[in-house]
Amino acid sequence: MITITINGKVCKCNEGEYILKVAQDNGIDIPNLCNDESVAVYGACGLCQIEVLDDGHGKALPKLMRACATKAQDGYVVSYDTERVNRSRKVALELLMSDHDGDCVAPCHLNCPAGTDIQKYLKQISGGDYHGAVETIKEAFPIPASIGRVCPHPCEKNCRRGNVEQPLSIAFLKAYAADKDLADGTYKPQCKPESGKKVAIVGGGPAGLTAAFFLRRSGHSVTVYDAMAKMGGMLRYGIPAYRLPKDILERECQEIKSLGVEYVNNCKIGKDVTLEQLQKDNDAVIVANGAWKSMNMRVEGEGLEGVVGGIDFLRNISSGEGERPDLTGLTVAVCGGGNTAMDACRSAVRCGADKVYVVYRRTRDEMPAEDIEIEEAIEEGVDFKFLTNPAQIIGEDGKVKQMKLQVMQLGEPDASGRRSPVPVEGKFEYIDVDKVIMAIGQSIEVSGFDCLEKTRKGTIAADENTFMTSVDGVFAVGDATNRGASIAIEAIGEANKCAAVVDSYLSGKLTAYRKPFVSKRDVKDIDFSVYDKKDRIKMPARPAEERKHDFNEVYLGFGDEEKVQSEAKRCLECGCHDYGDCRLIKYANICEIDPARFAGVKNNNPVERKLVSIERNPNKCILCSLCVRVCDEVAGKGILGLVGRGFGTVIKPEFNDESVIEACAQCGKCVEACPTGALKLLK
Amino acid sequence: MSYTIINVGQGSCGIAAGAGKVKKVLDEKLAGSGINVGIVGCIGMCWLEPIVDVYEDGKLHRLVKVSESSAEEIAAAVLSGDFAALSKYEITADDKDFLDQQTRIALRNCGIIDPESIEAYINAGGYKALEKVVTTMTQQQVIDEIKTSGLAGRGGAGFPTWFKWNAANQSAGETKYLICNADEGDPGAFMDRAVIESDPHTLIEGMLIAAYAIGASEAVVYVRAEYPLAIVRLKKAIAQAKQAGYIGKNIFGTDFSCEFTIKAGAGAFVCGEETALIASLEGERGMPRLKPPFPAQKGYWQKPSNINNVETFANVAWIINNGGAAFAAMGTENSKGTKVFALTGKIKRGGLVEIPMGKTLRDVIFGIGGGIKEDKKFKAVQMGGPSGGCIPEQLLDTVIDYKELSATGAIMGSGGMVVMDETTCMVGMAKFFLDFTAKESCGKCVHCRIGTKRMQEILTRIVEGNGKEGDIELLEELCSAVKEGALCGLGQTAPNPVLTTIKYFRNEYEAHINNKKCPAHECRDLISYSIDADKCRGCTLCAKKCPAKAISGEVKTPHAIDPNVCIKCGQCAAVCRFGAVKVD
Repeated sequence: MITITINGKVCKCNEGEYILKVAQDNGIDIPNLCNDESVAVYGACGLCQIEVLDDGHGKALPKLMRACATKAQDGYVVSYDTERVNRSRKVALELLMSDHDGDCVAPCHLNCPAGTDIQKYLKQISGGDYHGAVETIKEAFPIPASIGRVCPHPCEKNCRRGNVEQPLSIAFLKAYAADKDLADGTYKPQCKPESGKKVAIVGGGPAGLTAAFFLRRSGHSVTVYDAMAKMGGMLRYGIPAYRLPKDILERECQEIKSLGVEYVNNCKIGKDVTLEQLQKDNDAVIVANGAWKSMNMRVEGEGLEGVVGGIDFLRNISSGEGERPDLTGLTVAVCGGGNTAMDACRSAVRCGADKVYVVYRRTRDEMPAEDIEIEEAIEEGVDFKFLTNPAQIIGEDGKVKQMKLQVMQLGEPDASGRRSPVPVEGKFEYIDVDKVIMAIGQSIEVSGFDCLEKTRKGTIAADENTFMTSVDGVFAVGDATNRGASIAIEAIGEANKCAAVVDSYLSGKLTAYRKPFVSKRDVKDIDFSVYDKKDRIKMPARPAEERKHDFNEVYLGFGDEEKVQSEAKRCLECGCHDYGDCRLIKYANICEIDPARFAGVKNNNPVERKLVSIERNPNKCILCSLCVRVCDEVAGKGILGLVGRGFGTVIKPEFNDESVIEACAQCGKCVEACPTGALKLLK
Repeated sequence: MSYTIINVGQGSCGIAAGAGKVKKVLDEKLAGSGINVGIVGCIGMCWLEPIVDVYEDGKLHRLVKVSESSAEEIAAAVLSGDFAALSKYEITADDKDFLDQQTRIALRNCGIIDPESIEAYINAGGYKALEKVVTTMTQQQVIDEIKTSGLAGRGGAGFPTWFKWNAANQSAGETKYLICNADEGDPGAFMDRAVIESDPHTLIEGMLIAAYAIGASEAVVYVRAEYPLAIVRLKKAIAQAKQAGYIGKNIFGTDFSCEFTIKAGAGAFVCGEETALIASLEGERGMPRLKPPFPAQKGYWQKPSNINNVETFANVAWIINNGGAAFAAMGTENSKGTKVFALTGKIKRGGLVEIPMGKTLRDVIFGIGGGIKEDKKFKAVQMGGPSGGCIPEQLLDTVIDYKELSATGAIMGSGGMVVMDETTCMVGMAKFFLDFTAKESCGKCVHCRIGTKRMQEILTRIVEGNGKEGDIELLEELCSAVKEGALCGLGQTAPNPVLTTIKYFRNEYEAHINNKKCPAHECRDLISYSIDADKCRGCTLCAKKCPAKAISGEVKTPHAIDPNVCIKCGQCAAVCRFGAVKVD
């Protein structure tokens, strides 16, 4: 036996053993991609480089060595992460990635702010495994039945199926699975043993509930404080019941509570309890109080009776628990073009208004609201006054009487890419109205949070990666922070990342969120013509004439399980099957690579399935040749070989001779050996 | 008794210049005269080919640039005995100087004896060294003699030859192999080809001595298939040597036996790397293997093997005949003997040059080579091909020595010496070599396969005028990573042309990137042609020559170039007699 030292760890081994093997035997992970015990040493990837700092005789070796091919000698002192080694390894990984054409994760997953593994749960839904699907979703957030109904689904906007015909109906499939799960014994995650740490969360909306859910699962004692009578935040008090029935939201809130989370309602910070007190009583505080103030339009007449904020209007309807404002016989104007405006105008219809206008300064194409919301509002009789902007609210006896609208036209595109509205000089319109609802944006209520630093927008300033505010131990997420109000899933995404950061903070070592590096394909490199067209499933809705009179859910649900599963099967499975096990992406993230530096042409070879049960994707291949060597040295077949030279070298049947394929015994050893997702066993 | 001998140089270079036709004319005209027209290999004066040597009773008339028609005159002169008439074809004193300044050991018979005749080789003292070795010397004595000579591997690395022989000799095992690396792949290098084509028995004799020294009974010559004439002559020589008993069983009646085979390489540059060469010999893909084990321990078919380059072997018989000390007397402290260079590029007298180590680059380029073509300004010399680097004017007095050359960032290499003048863009030059290595990478190591490709892409964007700030630094980073990360010599040295051009000509890179200008006026995307109206006489010649019809103008009035049509071929500038065409 001899002794060598690897990164300070003394290892006993036999003379002549390869250093990589010695490291592995001692639990040290020296990065490598082309090594496998079952085949002879090869030395291609160059990732396992080490520096021999002492050769046992007090001398350092001048060259970097490959650990896979360097034999241990007594007294060797080696390191696999000196600056020199790290630099070389990083370049190797960057070069590999610069010629790697694959999607680690599907674009739906990548564009979900909460990072939901959509491809996985769609697969589970397609097989009827709804509990499994919910389990997958709950790795990202706890309220799928609610979110599935209300999310503007950035996932669907990025669904590649949209390049074939239409994207999958991802959000509703999620709601379907979640409803099934709620109906017959819901999935309950395990919580870790009690940590003894206490966390206070301010705000019981989607962000607060998500943070509570994950921190509770991590074993911490969590209390959620909310100013309103019930949990749910904007989902309860902003989103009308016809979109999200309150009982479903309540069920999901209770599920979270059932994990052991404390709920304290009707508790306003600064009034019922101070932030300082929460800080004192807890090990960490997360502020997720949302943006509950309607922004003013700054036009004359805003103070008149009958002018109300969109958020306030919606909250009034939702908290009334049945006693809704009666707008019978009245004419209502809703100002704004976002989802809140849509919720407000459609709620106004449901409250019996005679006539409902939406006043919007651009055209329908520029409206930020979901198109389906606009469509359904039109069906329900809402009158859209495009290219008009409130100029003045004219009153009589202190009450709203009329609106003066400035006629607009579209000018040059602004920073958001939308054409900006410009007034048509001197051209006005007048509409007689009894009520004006301002739904042009939300801001935050800052009282009670004076000790926290604010941004120039007046929101709470929180670090983008640690979510920490200016006060140690106080974190903040969601609409109340930084850029201000956004969609629920954005706040949820921040909350689940924040929960991990807070967990690390509570364990004594704060670890900031780091966006993982993933490989992405350019959509223009993909040939969609190979897919058969199959239309997207339609969600049945109640007819407008029926639904406009009540607050019951508009949608009837998919119902037919077969249809649901068939819809889920439309998924193109863009994400790599090997993402979880891929050694290339693992090391790429460990080494914090930036392959854009070396961007250049990529090899582009067709994916082939000639080995019958094995799919080979040369564009994910890193040419480690493990498949070639395993097929030769382990399987004894020698079917594959390297063909060509230089950058265009590719693995193909030996000598490019297709007939050798017949010898393949479908043993799958090559697939097992592949360190990336270049090889896939077809079921 | 008076006699006349005529020899026509018939190396590939001579044949390419028309030596075959010249010989045919001489054969026809001299048929029946009793004067035989013989062949010799390459004398190394490429710019004078075809060359005909006429011996008038031992007096040599070296006739150069001989055409078919002049061959007729030569035949007539010889037939009539009017040797004075040959003077107009005779080599000038100046050109003769090219040879006179050289010291030829490896090339001692090249261009002098008939490469297809073993008798010619034997008459020149051939196979005497082999006889001496196998009949009077022990293996160790041979190795010691080579050690005394200081001979080092001429393929490029400069590793002591005796050390490799000794290691192979000391390796346990009955079966050992001797391999000759004749996979000469550097662009611009043709030393090995010339030796095999011109004096194949020298190689065979050197290899037999080495085989004896290491205890090998099988010798293999790995020669690139692109050298068909070399293969033909080598095959012929092997057959002759076998016939004569120098190859085969019980050579010179001793226990020493050795068989020869030739393997034609399929054109992969990397097969010049010894482990890749062995893989290729074994029928595998030509890819380098990990070292250790070294070939001396486990080489061809896992047996102890010794691999040397052609030129290394070509020195061996001379060393045995003249003694290692005589060889070591030439050269410098670190580098002994002579070295053959293939002098090419923008040089007046290009060809094969063999000189003692210790001469300066200036001696070779300006002394032997006669300086730069058209008396332009010298800019740099590329040593060692794609694995080497460029050496600029201020280092022209660098001594030819393994250590000294390495200190410049270039290498001795196998002997390629490409001379560049002021019209050569150094970024373009680096790109040329990266184009080569990127294509020739075997694809095994990530650093080399993708790294050289990315370097080539960056160089391409620089010469096309799309270089970005930071590109030089990015290249430097890639260079050092590729050097550290590649397994074999190809990858480890591929960055050298880039590193040395950045080191010595950084300003040219900066001009391309920052000012979008090519100082050498070579990069087409960065230059523009225009006509100076004051100088133009309106002769219309440029307009007539312009292949793109980009030049317009009336007779006797100044012409103009339409930059949108101009393809920047430079024809106009070349034909203008008034210097009116400007390049920017």
